[in-house]
Amino acid sequence: MFSRWNWVACGFYLVLNICSPDASGGLVQSCGHIIPESPVLALGSNFTALCILNESCLDFGNIYASQIIWKIKNRVVPKEQYREINRTVSSVTFNDTSALATPLTCNILADGQIEQNIYGITVTVGLAPEKPKNLSCIVHQMSRFTYVMTCTWNPGRHTFLDTQFRLRYRWPEEIFPDCIPKDVNNSCTITDIQFFVNTEIWVEAANALGKAESDPLVVDPINIVKPLSPQNVSVSSGLLPTILKLSWENWISNAVMTLKFNIRYRIVDDTDWMEVPSDDTASPRTSFSVQGLRPYTEYVFSIRCMKEDGMGYWSDWSEEKTGFTTEDQPSKGPPLWRIIDKSHSPACWTVHLIWKALKPFEANGVILQYEVTVRDKSSLSSPVKKYNVTSTNHTLELPEGTYEVTLIARNSVGASPPSVLLIPASNSKAPVKNLRTLPKHDKLWVGWTAPNSNVLKYVIEWCLVSSSSDCIIEWQIALGDVQEVELKGIKPFKCYLITVYPLYADGQGSGQSVKAYLKQDRPSKGPTVQTKKVGKAEAVLTWNHLTVEEQNGFIRNYTILYKTIDGNETVVTVDPSKTEYTLSSLTSDTLYTVRMMASTDNGSRTGPDFTFTTQKFGKGEIEAIVVPVCLAFLLIVLLGVLFCFNKRDLIKKHIWPIVPDPSKSNIAQWSPQVPAKHNFNAKDQMYPEGSFTDVSVVEIEADDKKSFSEQDLKPFDLLKKEKSTSEGHSSGIGGSSCMSSPRQSVSDSDEGETTQNTSSTVQYSTVVLNGYRDQTPAQVFSRSESTQPLLDSEERPEDHAGGADSPAQRQQYFRQNGGQDEINTDRPCFERTKQITHASEGDLVGFVQLQISGQSSQPLGLGMEKNTQEAALSNVLQTYTEGQTVRPETVEENPLSVDEMPKSYLPQTVRQGGYMPQ
Amino acid sequence: MAAADSPSAALRRRDLCSRGIRLAGKMRADVVDLLDAYVEQQGLDASASVAAVEGVPLAAVERWDEQTGTQRLLENLAAYRAFRALLAQMLEEQREQLGEADAGLGRALAAVLLQVSAFAYHLEELLRLESRGVPGEEGDGPPPPPRLSLFEQKLRGLGVLRELAQWAVRSARDLRQLAKPSPATGAAPGLAESP
Repeated sequence: MFSRWNWVACGFYLVLNICSPDASGGLVQSCGHIIPESPVLALGSNFTALCILNESCLDFGNIYASQIIWKIKNRVVPKEQYREINRTVSSVTFNDTSALATPLTCNILADGQIEQNIYGITVTVGLAPEKPKNLSCIVHQMSRFTYVMTCTWNPGRHTFLDTQFRLRYRWPEEIFPDCIPKDVNNSCTITDIQFFVNTEIWVEAANALGKAESDPLVVDPINIVKPLSPQNVSVSSGLLPTILKLSWENWISNAVMTLKFNIRYRIVDDTDWMEVPSDDTASPRTSFSVQGLRPYTEYVFSIRCMKEDGMGYWSDWSEEKTGFTTEDQPSKGPPLWRIIDKSHSPACWTVHLIWKALKPFEANGVILQYEVTVRDKSSLSSPVKKYNVTSTNHTLELPEGTYEVTLIARNSVGASPPSVLLIPASNSKAPVKNLRTLPKHDKLWVGWTAPNSNVLKYVIEWCLVSSSSDCIIEWQIALGDVQEVELKGIKPFKCYLITVYPLYADGQGSGQSVKAYLKQDRPSKGPTVQTKKVGKAEAVLTWNHLTVEEQNGFIRNYTILYKTIDGNETVVTVDPSKTEYTLSSLTSDTLYTVRMMASTDNGSRTGPDFTFTTQKFGKGEIEAIVVPVCLAFLLIVLLGVLFCFNKRDLIKKHIWPIVPDPSKSNIAQWSPQVPAKHNFNAKDQMYPEGSFTDVSVVEIEADDKKSFSEQDLKPFDLLKKEKSTSEGHSSGIGGSSCMSSPRQSVSDSDEGETTQNTSSTVQYSTVVLNGYRDQTPAQVFSRSESTQPLLDSEERPEDHAGGADSPAQRQQYFRQNGGQDEINTDRPCFERTKQITHASEGDLVGFVQLQISGQSSQPLGLGMEKNTQEAALSNVLQTYTEGQTVRPETVEENPLSVDEMPKSYLPQTVRQGGYMPQ
Repeated sequence: MAAADSPSAALRRRDLCSRGIRLAGKMRADVVDLLDAYVEQQGLDASASVAAVEGVPLAAVERWDEQTGTQRLLENLAAYRAFRALLAQMLEEQREQLGEADAGLGRALAAVLLQVSAFAYHLEELLRLESRGVPGEEGDGPPPPPRLSLFEQKLRGLGVLRELAQWAVRSARDLRQLAKPSPATGAAPGLAESP
């Protein structure tokens, strides 16, 4: 209990000690203090602080040095750094002050672990000032009598402390006030500077940790002056056109300082300064005449000064002043050249004299006019012609010859030396050799090797090559000893045509030309390729050259790149002069993509893609297939024909057996019946109503190929069927049908017409004829099975008589038929077939069609009296064979005229081959 | 003379002479300029004739060309020490009269005063090179001038500046004379004749 109250009392005492005013007048009576009090420490040094407790606190508060705790800010310093010196003093040591921070406090841990602060100090850590280095001073002239000296130095490292710098200076027996810099620590300006006395200048730096002085600088301020630049500079023209006089005023009297000068000048439009030699202006002066200037040129001048002996500093350059030199006569004649136009007439030239205006430094003034003098050298008697020109060209009409042209430029002062150009009748002299161009440093140079003869000068012509405009010639002249010139105004990526002419004293050499680029680029576009011709395995590509504007350089080659859709790309390089190329070894019937690339020295550009498809068959392949096939077919046909021809007898024997002529049979004289009627009406005779409706007469035009349509073939089919149906019943009546076999003959006969075989048994049959197409057959022919022979007497003469009344055409027709029958009898069927075949343009099919169908429905009159069914069919064939025209033929073999024919209906011998219906 | 014989001493003397001459020239120029400013500032007539001012040494001297080097140096030193005191007094009076109203004139006076001091230093250095003792300044200096009226002060100041201008010319000539190489005595002509 006592102890408890004791500690309470102790704490109360401490508080009272800390808070109560002390006897010295302070408000706080501390229980201790730290020494040193707020030290300034060198960075990196060691430091020891002592905390000393008051005895009074010991006695009352029962606190001792062993209870002291040191803290930096709020961080406890390790106990290892403590040392208890005695019961009231504790020290702390820091080996490196860089570990220190503010505040450093001394605290005590009283009983009950209550930490109380006893005292604290502020620790300042920094560095002592370094010795200022590199002290230098300069005296600036501020006005005519005012000079200030500014000294600068290197203050050294940062000290982290408040460091005072002061510039001090003195004479040996007089010390001046210090110069204390404001806001800076490395310079100071002294205003009361005095010349001609050596002044010792130094810098002193001081802070809490020490003081340092720079090395002294001993200098007479007059030797470090930077004077003001000369003022009131003026420029005036001198007596000569090449001189300008420069005047100025100096700020410093010679009594103080003698000066030397620098004068610089330039042409007003130029940027480069020229300087008057310093030796010329090394003495005090206030004016100077600048010589060697160009006449009639505006110059800019500027001047500066410094102490004559070179000590000190140059002043700034003065303000710039301009001056104009006066005019002088032109220093040289204008460069002269000509362009001769001989297009009108070779004997009369149009000479365009052209010359360049003199450059300002050559003109030396304003050129008022040019004087052109032309002298005909080929004719001494010709007068000299003079022209005054104000422009820079002049055109003359001159006869062909040799002329000397002289040109003089004139200004207000005088005339230039003459420029002479010899225009010879022909450029017969030696040209330059080895003409070449050299792009160099973004300039285009043209060089050449001089010819052996002495050349006065060279004329270099050049022009921009363009596809859209004419070549506008530019030119320049080079002296005879020059073999390389730079061309002005050359643009990159443009093609120039450059020509060099050597000019001799007595003539002119022919020009040598070369094309050149200053810089090349890749073409601005690629060639557009397309196919000219596409085959099975090759394609002919064609393209146009790029225009010179598109080339951007010399086209070194074209590259063709082509590929199939899924194939690799094939590359072909083509000479740049070509505009066509044939791709070979292509795959047939394949889509190809082709594009083309133009290349210069600096790159390439590809044109658009073009696609094409190769053909499936090559040239002549179709012909090679078709022609042999046709030939083979024709050969087969020919062989067939030959075979038929050779075997015609055999064929005839097998196909067309010999049919006995009924008229020659004995029964021909027998007529079993009398004709039912005798119609002497010729028309009726020929076309008895209803009697011919069963006969189809077909007229087929030989060229009417369309007529052989299937529709037309149908009746034939029917007919064939009818034939088939009649097979076995027909006996080949009439014996005239080549298509009829002995047992398959088709007989179209009139009513009562009989067909009789020559065999012992004459078969008569009933033939039901089909009508042609939709015609209903009205006649039924019956074939008798009687074997009774026909009698000639049975043939009725009336029938013939009726026939005699028919028109001649009909007579002829029947006669022809009769004759034809005879021919048919005598000639093999094959021949007739052949004829038909020939008539129908060799169309064998046409022959078949011809036999079986008739395109024309025109009825063909048949002689009922005499014409047999065979004759009718034969006539059909004949009609077709001969075309529409039936040529009348007189059948001499027929001794009987129609009128003479017996008008009986008895069987008769039909000499015409016909037979009478029974 | 031993010092005069050494090359470094000769160079030093030549340098001192050279810069002394130029300092004298600048001093004269500044004094002339200051005279104009002073006349204008004090409201005096530039053509006003000022009688000899007490305490101001006269630059004019007879048989100037017969003087020895040391004699020249001593006369110059005495004169410039006097000018230094006079100018300091003028500066004091100037400040009393005008305060800071005309700082330019005060700065110009101070500058001339510095130049006078610098020239006196040059002379002392030259005398030391001649192995001549530099005469000490008289204790408290010249006796204080009698109390003058303001106008008299102005006139005296005008006289001091005019005489200083004259002395600047003479001093330059004296130093040129000293700097001339003498074939007989080498680098120190005339000094041998000095007493």
